[in-house]
Amino acid sequence: MPNLLELKEVHAGYGPRSVLHGVSLSVPEGGIVSLLGANGAGKTTTLRAITAGVRWSGDIIFGGRSLRRLATEEIVRAGIAHVPEGRGICTELTVDENLKLGSHLRRDGAEVRKDYDRVFEYFPVLKERRKLSASTLSGGEQQMLALARALLMKPKLMLLDEPSLGLAPLVVRAIFQIVKSINQASRVAVLLVEQNARIALELSRSAYVLEVGRVAVSGASADLKDNE
Amino acid sequence: MQEFFQQVVSGIAIGGIFASLALALVLIYNAMGLVNFAQGEMAMFATFVAYALINRGMSYWIAFPITLVLAFGGGILIQRLVIKPVERAPVLTLVIITLGLATLVNGFAGFIFGYVPRSFPSPFSADSADLFGVFISYRDMGVIAVSGLVLLGVYLLLQRTTVGLTMRAAAHHPEASRLLGVQVSWMLALGWGLASAVGAVSGIMVAPILLLEPNMMQSIIIYAFAAAVLGGIESPLGAVIGGLIVGVTVNLAGAYLPGVGGDLQLAVGLAIIIAVLIARPNGLFGRAAIRRV
Repeated sequence: MPNLLELKEVHAGYGPRSVLHGVSLSVPEGGIVSLLGANGAGKTTTLRAITAGVRWSGDIIFGGRSLRRLATEEIVRAGIAHVPEGRGICTELTVDENLKLGSHLRRDGAEVRKDYDRVFEYFPVLKERRKLSASTLSGGEQQMLALARALLMKPKLMLLDEPSLGLAPLVVRAIFQIVKSINQASRVAVLLVEQNARIALELSRSAYVLEVGRVAVSGASADLKDNE
Repeated sequence: MQEFFQQVVSGIAIGGIFASLALALVLIYNAMGLVNFAQGEMAMFATFVAYALINRGMSYWIAFPITLVLAFGGGILIQRLVIKPVERAPVLTLVIITLGLATLVNGFAGFIFGYVPRSFPSPFSADSADLFGVFISYRDMGVIAVSGLVLLGVYLLLQRTTVGLTMRAAAHHPEASRLLGVQVSWMLALGWGLASAVGAVSGIMVAPILLLEPNMMQSIIIYAFAAAVLGGIESPLGAVIGGLIVGVTVNLAGAYLPGVGGDLQLAVGLAIIIAVLIARPNGLFGRAAIRRV
């Protein structure tokens, strides 16, 4: 399968502090890839490099095109939905307005309506709370809102930064199940950052393990799970 | 009692003017976390532009929208040229820059138009209508109608349109908005344009009452600050209600409190700011900074 996203020897950091020391990885079209590692290994920075949230060097290719010198907005418009650390919910806005921000760039009205139906099928609780401020949602519900909003962007690739963080195991299961359905139904590729390696490896086909800014291990998820 | 109601209606009219300028302050506060100290001067300058257009024979109701469009463009231009390059500067730097901008615009207006106060036309008749025994001037009604329409327009733009939604998102959550494809920098520029246009309305409405000169807005901006603070500085609706409350309070104080009137009315505005900051620092509609994480 051709690669949708490819990172080649990416270095990145915040000011003088360098965090990534040459990370190379790839995400195939329609695939799910896990990016694992301890706190501070550079997982979040890797995602932030992809959407230009941090300065980087090396090369990042998305859909055959280098993302170098593109601004965050342009990268997003090219088809990458990034659900950041902390979920990026606009708590000043209502649930409905958050969802609208997801679909606001789309011009395919009929498809958008279908996607809304799908989103509310996956997350009925969001339909009930449409008119409420997003700040009233629980952590799990906010994660659902972030995922729903990403889905409404109709991306080719979703970057998910620790969707399990702070959530009860049952909620995590439900959310991962939905990520899987989204991936299968609309062939959205997923790059999943997780600390919870077990559940991430169950979902993904291949995985990379970062250690202090470098890829230490990579391979098929099934193999990695065996020699955990 | 009649007299009282007349004072209240006049207060609402002047309050609508305060509300427009207060709303302009709130729009920019939301976009950059800081009030724009040059807002009043920008409004004054726009009023001079309207004056110049009308003086060249343009009809009032054509000059009015043209001025708003020019003010909108001017606001965007100022944001791009002056504010954007220092976007990430510390708050104090931005304060100094908007203060400098105020002085600059003020001096520029004086340089071009001079300091002689000029009478500015009002499109509304100076007569009064008798409404159930209360005499209300057409001017007050006209000012209330114009401010009301403008405020309603801004409300609909912000709350009911996609552009408004992305403007609000960009102002409150720039990082998250960028990840949703919102062009944050342009949305902030739009906020400046909108604020500049809304502020211009307050200048054009107040000029027939005060006479037009470069320092015309310097008292009005104090009332607008009072209104914005009263409303909670972040809340557009709060700014409008704050403006009306300040307008009515100042007007009633001027009419009924012995000694208040003329210059002391301004002290009432300042007293409102201080009282609100002591008793209710978040204003009437401000959110306390408590959020569920």
